[in-house]
Amino acid sequence: MVFHVDFKSGKPVYLQLVDQVRYAAASGALRPGDLLPSIRPLAEELRVNRNTVAKAYTELESRGIIETAAGKGCFLKENDSPLNKQVRHKLLVARIDEAVVTAYQMQVGPEVLRGLVDERIQFFDRKKAGTQPGSESDPQEKEQIWTPTNPSSTFPISADVMENWTPSTD
Amino acid sequence: MRPGRCYGFFGRNGAGKTTTIKCLLNLLRPTSGSVRVFGLDPQKEEVAVKSRLAYVPDTVAFYPWMTVRDALNYQASFRQHWNDTISADLQRRFELDPKQKTANLSKGQKTQLALIGAIAAEPELLVLDEPTSGLDPIVRREFIETVIGAYQSGDPDRRTVFVSTHLIAEFEGLIDEFTIIAQGRNLLTMNADQARNRFCKIRARFADAPPELKLPGAINVRQIGRELELIGNGNAKELLETLRAQRPEELRCEALSLEEIFVASKSLVQESTL
Repeated sequence: MVFHVDFKSGKPVYLQLVDQVRYAAASGALRPGDLLPSIRPLAEELRVNRNTVAKAYTELESRGIIETAAGKGCFLKENDSPLNKQVRHKLLVARIDEAVVTAYQMQVGPEVLRGLVDERIQFFDRKKAGTQPGSESDPQEKEQIWTPTNPSSTFPISADVMENWTPSTD
Repeated sequence: MRPGRCYGFFGRNGAGKTTTIKCLLNLLRPTSGSVRVFGLDPQKEEVAVKSRLAYVPDTVAFYPWMTVRDALNYQASFRQHWNDTISADLQRRFELDPKQKTANLSKGQKTQLALIGAIAAEPELLVLDEPTSGLDPIVRREFIETVIGAYQSGDPDRRTVFVSTHLIAEFEGLIDEFTIIAQGRNLLTMNADQARNRFCKIRARFADAPPELKLPGAINVRQIGRELELIGNGNAKELLETLRAQRPEELRCEALSLEEIFVASKSLVQESTL
């Protein structure tokens, strides 16, 4: 997993690292048994105090999220689902909020937004079922597939989307 | 200062940073006040103090006839303790040729050589005075990584860093606590995480001209067109509530970086009771 530090968030740096591991665990970017980077290279890479990274790992260990195997490093522990569900929902809500705000700024009304969400769910359902939609819209639909990256990434609005989505003003 | 932590020392040119550091090293004697390093007076117990610290200044001078190897051997001869492995590792990492004459080294290479000399001695305290100014970005990056890796990680609970710098953003992640000095006096000393949590920049954009508002405790309030910009000092929640009640089009709040805190430090201290 890739860590990053944002000094503008106002959140202590070690807590940022703790939360990134929690989110990575909840979203599947880190799986139980996965090895976390060791303290020194991670501190060097992020150019943060070595003790900050050590503090984050100590915190993760005391919360039962990771465990240290002597001489081998830190591993993600088997997950406990209630926390994960909570974190997943929190993650998702943040993304939904971004979409709601973006829709508002683009003057896309709530009904249209709900419609689009349904449309996208159906699109992925169709993909999952293996029945490809009409060939004429296929490349465009591919363009619009959005893969979640990290929790702090912004909701992408490609030029393509801006051009093809007609804002409704209801 | 406590062992194992990193302290940032900020101030404008002429504020007294280098003077302070020179007093710590007994290169200057204070005209008033007193200096203590490891609880000792560097003037009376110079050897005891200097044997436990290492110093990298912004401009480093070596005897020009010495090679890289000579210069390191020369420095090692003054030290009770010297780690050859660290010295060799870092020479490789910085791609320094041991046979190269120090007179022919670039500014960046001289700083790297000074850093090797400082870290190989594995001192309890590493004093850095504007160590990376005038160096290219790659050398600056390597310098900081070396301080974190080769120095700090060697014995994290006892390796203390004291760094004076104008390149605050580069050292931001390293710094646990910082002091801002002005005209030779301590203006502000704070824990870095707490400072970033306490000081924040708030921006509110309104549909029309910003309303007249009472914003107690807000610092550096500025109006730019339909936008209001201000700095909160531990009272972001209240300020945001007051602003939100006016139904702004957009309301943003972000922490001040250490550099921004430094830039705003005068008004932060004047307009608040710290």
